[in-house]
Amino acid sequence: MASPQTGMAFTPEERLARRNLIVRDAVSLVTLFLITAIIFVLTLLLFRSFTSHRQELGARWKARGEAALHGGHPGVAIEDLRSALAYVPDRATEIELATALADAGKLQEASVYFTTLWESAPSDGTINLQLARLAVKQGNEGQAIFHYQAALDGAWQGNGYDRRREVRLEMARYLISGREDSKARAQLLIAAGNAPDDPAIKLAIAGLLEQANATQDALGIYRSLAARREPPLAALEGAGRTAFGLGMYRLAEDYLSRALASPLAINLSDDEKTADRNMLDTSLHVLLLYPSFDLTPRNRAQRVLAIRNVARRSLSACMGANPTAPPKLPALVSRWGQLPSQITVSQFEQQPNMEQTILQLAYDTETAAAPVCGPPTGNDALLLRIANNPSAVDQQ
Amino acid sequence: MPNPPIQSVGTTPRPHASLTATLDRIAPTRDERLFLVLSIFIGVISGLLVVAFRIAIEWIRLLTLGSAPHGGQFRLLFVPAVAGLIVAALVIWFFPAARGSGVNQTKAALYIYDGYISFRTVIGKFLTSALAIGGGHSLGPEDPSLQIGAGVASIIARNLNLSRRRLRMFAPIGAAAGLAAAFNAPISAILFVIEEVIGSWSAAVLGSLVLSAISSVVVARWFWGPEPLFRIPSIALRDPRELMAYAVLGVFGGLLAPVFSLVLGYLRPRLRALPRWTQFLQPAVAGLLVGAIGFFGFPQVMGTGYDVIDQAMHGQFVWQILLALVFLKLLATTFSFSSGTPGGMFAPTLFIGAMLGGAVGAFEKHFFPHLTGTIGAYSLVGMGVLFAGFLRAPLTSVFMVLEVSGNYSIVLPIILANTLAFLISRGLQPVGIFEIFTQQDGLDLPSMEEQREESVLHIEDALQPASVPIIDGSDTLQAVSQAISEFHATACLVRLMDGSWYAMSTDELNGAAATLAPDTAVQRALKTDRTPALFPDMPLDSALHFFPRWPLLPVLNRASRGTVEGMLTLDDVLRCYRGSE
Repeated sequence: MASPQTGMAFTPEERLARRNLIVRDAVSLVTLFLITAIIFVLTLLLFRSFTSHRQELGARWKARGEAALHGGHPGVAIEDLRSALAYVPDRATEIELATALADAGKLQEASVYFTTLWESAPSDGTINLQLARLAVKQGNEGQAIFHYQAALDGAWQGNGYDRRREVRLEMARYLISGREDSKARAQLLIAAGNAPDDPAIKLAIAGLLEQANATQDALGIYRSLAARREPPLAALEGAGRTAFGLGMYRLAEDYLSRALASPLAINLSDDEKTADRNMLDTSLHVLLLYPSFDLTPRNRAQRVLAIRNVARRSLSACMGANPTAPPKLPALVSRWGQLPSQITVSQFEQQPNMEQTILQLAYDTETAAAPVCGPPTGNDALLLRIANNPSAVDQQ
Repeated sequence: MPNPPIQSVGTTPRPHASLTATLDRIAPTRDERLFLVLSIFIGVISGLLVVAFRIAIEWIRLLTLGSAPHGGQFRLLFVPAVAGLIVAALVIWFFPAARGSGVNQTKAALYIYDGYISFRTVIGKFLTSALAIGGGHSLGPEDPSLQIGAGVASIIARNLNLSRRRLRMFAPIGAAAGLAAAFNAPISAILFVIEEVIGSWSAAVLGSLVLSAISSVVVARWFWGPEPLFRIPSIALRDPRELMAYAVLGVFGGLLAPVFSLVLGYLRPRLRALPRWTQFLQPAVAGLLVGAIGFFGFPQVMGTGYDVIDQAMHGQFVWQILLALVFLKLLATTFSFSSGTPGGMFAPTLFIGAMLGGAVGAFEKHFFPHLTGTIGAYSLVGMGVLFAGFLRAPLTSVFMVLEVSGNYSIVLPIILANTLAFLISRGLQPVGIFEIFTQQDGLDLPSMEEQREESVLHIEDALQPASVPIIDGSDTLQAVSQAISEFHATACLVRLMDGSWYAMSTDELNGAAATLAPDTAVQRALKTDRTPALFPDMPLDSALHFFPRWPLLPVLNRASRGTVEGMLTLDDVLRCYRGSE
């Protein structure tokens, strides 16, 4: 090992000792190397068996945890997923564990866990969705909307397109439950715009739009579905129902009669059928009373006169029952008094504006009498429906 | 009962003196060259043994406690107790030097036994620590790894007949390798060995320390991968005002560390003072108590707890659970360690620190939600806080957290919190935990903390104004004699043309005057040597060995060597040392 020193003289014994020392050091180092190699091989074998066993344990615990989670046993899943994480830590398992915590009602733990996950991946869609759900459970509206929105904007593994739509629908349901109809409508319209041509999805969106009081938007979706070659029964029903709600009785009559005539209608429950029939009957009666422009002038004039009589009788009855009626009703009596007491069909031909004046007065009468004299019945009720949106009744 | 010796070596094998002399003559550079080559071998072998040691712990844990220990399992009660019985028998009958953590044993090897650690100790430490920790005792593998590394180094060095001085220095080199592999953090390991084992920066061993630590970490990473010991969540300090929150953590850490020290310092000597036969049972009873904590719902306190630290850093516990774990782990570790079960203090310290950090962080975030630091960040800083406060290694604590996290942005919170914890802990408990153990073992090892804080005297502390004549070398002997008599001095300082100085005594002057003409330049009467160049900032002891030759010494200005700042006499130096006592 040692290098000869310049100018240093050794005795023969020292030279021999030096040579022996070099040999001995070399042998020692080679021995050391061999020992190192042996320890390395042993450690490697030990390490390989250990890591494969860890992987096996991690996979086993994860499978058990997932099965428990999906089987509705979040308490068991928590322990199993914790064990899985101890052997093979990965984000997916962490999210599953946090979900199990939330499902088990350990909201604070789940919240802390998800928040920590979120801090390391603030744009992860799944984590934001779970945080939004936790915020919903904890009644924190601001956080819920923030995380729902972050989930919509975030990154998703797998089919992000579908997952975002599901999140959007979930967010809309939450907004509807909080009576945030306009915000819900906005989300639903975006969802509808991006939705694939899948009747089930469109029906779900339309249903939520109905719940968000966006009936017109819902009707649009139902109608598009009803226009298909084999329209889903729910679409026909929905179109009829929403058209009925909007006062579009011509459309309602059309869709509801198609729905009830559909072979699929046998799947409807009795209550559903009854409800549909009631709406259909009402629509038919409205259409029988309504002075449509599609009618001949004579027939239309006759309906106007019939309406005039219904309204006047209603006003008289209401005034008689309520002597201290609000000033609105006497004003209506005065307006009726300004019109000729006897009107014939031929007068309408001479004074085309009179028809419209009488109809408007009849609508005003029903609208004003209803709050004072209680819910109308019979033709009064039909007339009140027409009065709500006269131009919609006949709309196609 | 007297305390057993920390290292049972009746006769420490040392290289024969004549053999060492022969080696020095025929191969004077052999030791130096072997030192570096062997440092690499020591690092590699230590790294391999530490990897095997950790795997052994995990295998034993899996085989005894199962793959998913949880509260209510009866084996949690009896496995640590049975492990304790076996470990006690092994330690008492076969491996008496395997007792304890390993840090003080390595220091004892360095300062008392010339670096000697027996092969039996290494084997014993490996087996008993693996069995104890794997069996659920609340101890860590780092300190045993440190001693295993030191033992490997000692065995290798002994077999190559290195000099005693080299042999002694191998123990800390191996210790650094063992610790580096255990922590997967070479810088921290080197710093810890310097801070806590060697006590000073020494260029002689620094290179070997680095080589061995790097070698062992390369080996460890070859097996475990480059990832740090724990999965670190995202960490950033966005608002400097949040340092206040970390300061609070530092304060809590500083208060908790002395509690931990006091509990350990109280229980350990009392258990050791019990009759010898009880020492067979103490680890078993400690195991039973630790197992009971696990059985009744907190199995997290059992074993090393690395996975629990990882979970805490990833927000898997609420602050109430974290706080419970702080105190239960403290209890469990106190039982395990005080019973004499072999195993380390590092992992429990990190565990308690991480839980404390997580609890404080979660609590603060609960009440101040605008804080942006993650719970993981608080856990991480918490680890450093207790490391600084309890183990009293402030520099290591900072670098350990930096290395473990691989994130420099956490440095400010760490420095602040660790410093606070260190200062508060030291204020409340002046004696560090390793010194407490040393004293309890009846040893007198140097305290590294005290060594660091010893005030070193400098020349400026003994410096006096020049009260002797200062003359030029060209002045005549007659003029010099007159100047000395005017000053009533016993010597004078002669300034020479080349900027050097000479301190001439009156005896020397008289001798020259007797042989030379009075108008002879004094520089011709001077001997060839010159006074050393001393400056005010130099250590005082550096001046001591010049006094037999010189009656006084000039102290010069570093910017201008021709300017004398003052002078120094032997009396001045001795007075200064006496005054500092």
